[in-house]
Amino acid sequence: MEGKVIVMTSGKGGVGKTTVTASLGAALALQGKRVAIVDMDIGLRNMDVVMGLENRIVFNVVDVIQGRCKLKQAAIKDRRIDNLFLIPASQSDEKDVIKPENMVWLTKKLRREYDFTLLDCPAGIEHGFKNSIAAADEAVVICTPDVSAVRDADRVIGLLYARSITPKLVVNRIIPKMVENGDMLSHEDIVDVLSIDLVGLVEMDEQVVVSSNTGTPLVSNKESKAGMAFQRIAMRLNGQPDLPIDNPMMAKGFWKKIGKKLGRKNKDAK
Amino acid sequence: MNSNNNLPVKLKGVGDSLWVTVDPSQPVDRLQDALIQTFERLKHLAINARVIIDPGVSENCDQLVNELGVFLKDRFQVGQVSRPPEKKNSVSKERIRHQDLGNAWHHYRSEALMIAGRVRSGQKIAAKKHLIIMGDLNPGAEVVAGGDILVMGTLSGKAQAGQPDNEGAIIMALQFRPTQVQIGGIVAAGFSAEATGTPEFAYIENQAIVVDDYLKKNPFRQLTWPEVR
Repeated sequence: MEGKVIVMTSGKGGVGKTTVTASLGAALALQGKRVAIVDMDIGLRNMDVVMGLENRIVFNVVDVIQGRCKLKQAAIKDRRIDNLFLIPASQSDEKDVIKPENMVWLTKKLRREYDFTLLDCPAGIEHGFKNSIAAADEAVVICTPDVSAVRDADRVIGLLYARSITPKLVVNRIIPKMVENGDMLSHEDIVDVLSIDLVGLVEMDEQVVVSSNTGTPLVSNKESKAGMAFQRIAMRLNGQPDLPIDNPMMAKGFWKKIGKKLGRKNKDAK
Repeated sequence: MNSNNNLPVKLKGVGDSLWVTVDPSQPVDRLQDALIQTFERLKHLAINARVIIDPGVSENCDQLVNELGVFLKDRFQVGQVSRPPEKKNSVSKERIRHQDLGNAWHHYRSEALMIAGRVRSGQKIAAKKHLIIMGDLNPGAEVVAGGDILVMGTLSGKAQAGQPDNEGAIIMALQFRPTQVQIGGIVAAGFSAEATGTPEFAYIENQAIVVDDYLKKNPFRQLTWPEVR
């Protein structure tokens, strides 16, 4: 069976595309799938750092496309997770060395080798974005609860629909306390505007910073709420689309309810 | 040419006749002077021509028309002089209304553009006349219409109605919270992000855009008869 190519995109920069891609890749690999992560940010690569593989790069995606090496030579195996591979971006090339037809050719090869190929799309809707969506089967749009991120995600969704790709939504970096106080958009508001299928809600988590700086996979950290959320998103992408979505807002309500049942008085409870 | 516009007499060719529109409120000699000015330019074309003298109103002008007719025959040797034919289609207004009601604009072809779906950021829709969107207009989206804009959903983007200069246009939405609206050449922004839950609409009053509750204000209630907008 041929694998799936999923593009991870957001439009806006800094919403956590790279982290989400690395974590989902790790989670899918831990679930026994062969996963390749392709860094599409030619000229500004950083997926290798997040995955802790920067000192093992010999060949990159541009070398594969220009025929300087085989796909297998460029794919770097993760140190900890067996089925996870990274095809790094080139740091020195110009961004327009890759064309959409090159990506179609590359993803054809990737589909044969891997169950899941995750394309880490650069911010923006120019060259890198067009290359990334040219060959994708599915798309995951990552959005943070900011007005500007929602606006950009909306634009990207429009462009994806124009390519007949139906995107799924991950809302990243939710701070439940701020949502509760009305200082942050709730995920309901975001889904209301974007009106696409939601596949996951990820809470703001300090562990993310630690893990991306040290290059350790977030999903292997059982303490991390974000890591657990990514595991569930991976399960939804991996053939369990009906797995219920954990609402970070609900967790608090649930404990409140238990607290009430146990007779604990909570002044804040409304 | 300009002086021609001020003359109480206007001349145009209709079929095989010359149609002369005269202003009956002017004195006869002034009209005659004007006729001389106009007909002298025609030279030989005036000879034997059929002339229709149209005083505009039908009452009390017979004498004036006869007098001018004789004058034209004498001076320019025109052929026949007559009054404009009676209009045949003087059907009563009442009957037109009944016909309208019965046929319900059978032959009226709509110029409205009707669209279903969500208009997303970066997308732009332009309609020549009215625009109806059954769905939402997201922030960052833009719609432009020559007439009215109706959004059967939430309007959160930018809407420009009555472009370029129809200041009678309206912008209506079930949830009205646009980033900016423009009607004709007038722009307004800074609408509250709070949803009121009632349909609202924007229109121009005293050269400013006003937003009102559509159901309460009911702007077209005063129209006595349903009409094409």
